[in-house]
Amino acid sequence: MSKQRVTRRQFLNYTLTGVGGFMAAGMLMPMVRFAVDPVLKHNAAGDYVVTKQKIDEITNEPVRVDFSFEQKDAWYTSEVTNTAWVYKDENGEIVALSPVCKHLGCTVDWNTDATHPEHFFCPCHNGLYTKDGVNVPGTPPAAPLDVYPYKDVDGYLALGKAEPRKGA
Amino acid sequence: MKWVSKDMDMYLGAKEYVDTVVLPLLPISFGDDLKQTASMTEFISLLTIPLERQFKGRLMMLPGYTYLKSDSDDSRLQVIKHWETEFKKSGFKHMIYITSDSGWRTIEDKCEGTVIWLPSLPLENMDEKYRNSILEDQIGQLIHLFVKKWQNND
Ligand code: FES
Repeated sequence: MSKQRVTRRQFLNYTLTGVGGFMAAGMLMPMVRFAVDPVLKHNAAGDYVVTKQKIDEITNEPVRVDFSFEQKDAWYTSEVTNTAWVYKDENGEIVALSPVCKHLGCTVDWNTDATHPEHFFCPCHNGLYTKDGVNVPGTPPAAPLDVYPYKDVDGYLALGKAEPRKGA
Repeated sequence: MKWVSKDMDMYLGAKEYVDTVVLPLLPISFGDDLKQTASMTEFISLLTIPLERQFKGRLMMLPGYTYLKSDSDDSRLQVIKHWETEFKKSGFKHMIYITSDSGWRTIEDKCEGTVIWLPSLPLENMDEKYRNSILEDQIGQLIHLFVKKWQNND
């Protein structure tokens, strides 16, 4: 009959390893979470932001729609204001364009250049885009304006994250 | 572009398109006009953010030049001259200073660049909506000024 007696030394060994492992896990877990967190957070940024623009008030004429949301940059939260140019195209489809010029990032305006009416115009280096946001060849921008995906939220326009398109 | 390393990559790749440099002039005083200089600095700093956003690809928005309100005209002017030499060496065609400090009005003619003076507004006492609409209005005017300046190429 073997007597499997646990000696005092063994007992201490077991308990210390157990407790130590527990403590190590306690320390490591938050660190892992901390490292993975930004990755998880990223998906949340794809959410739609509801604007003050009523959908049935959108016309054929592009209007500026500003919308603000909280943005988390690592540990720092700030309020960001974005802008969209919004109108209905000839098929009655809503178009929401990003105002950020695809050349070097200035903000484009609708219909402000007297020599090119009914165009989006960038005052920085005279970039031009047609109403559908496509860049006019021969001007600095090399790609069309980004497009916001949109949703109808109780009659109000909600915008997602602007997405790039193929060049003209 | 702003004075951050990410934007400098863009600047280095597109220098020929960035012909305008903006230097906010920000007064500081610990005397009687402590609050006044603080609100001037606050006001101008608030305006620079949307201005930079509007013209990101053409202007370089520098962090401001902070000086003591008690500095003499001459010493401030000398600093500006020094900046201007450097700006021109770096290929900037338009040099613009924006400030709320009326102390620059007496020496603006001696600067080669343009001093845009905007009286600071008592933003702290306004409710947010009113404040935003006032700021938007000011920014609109600034934008207009810049575009005009570029058109006239002066
Ligand atoms: S940034 Fe718009 S044309 Fe250059």
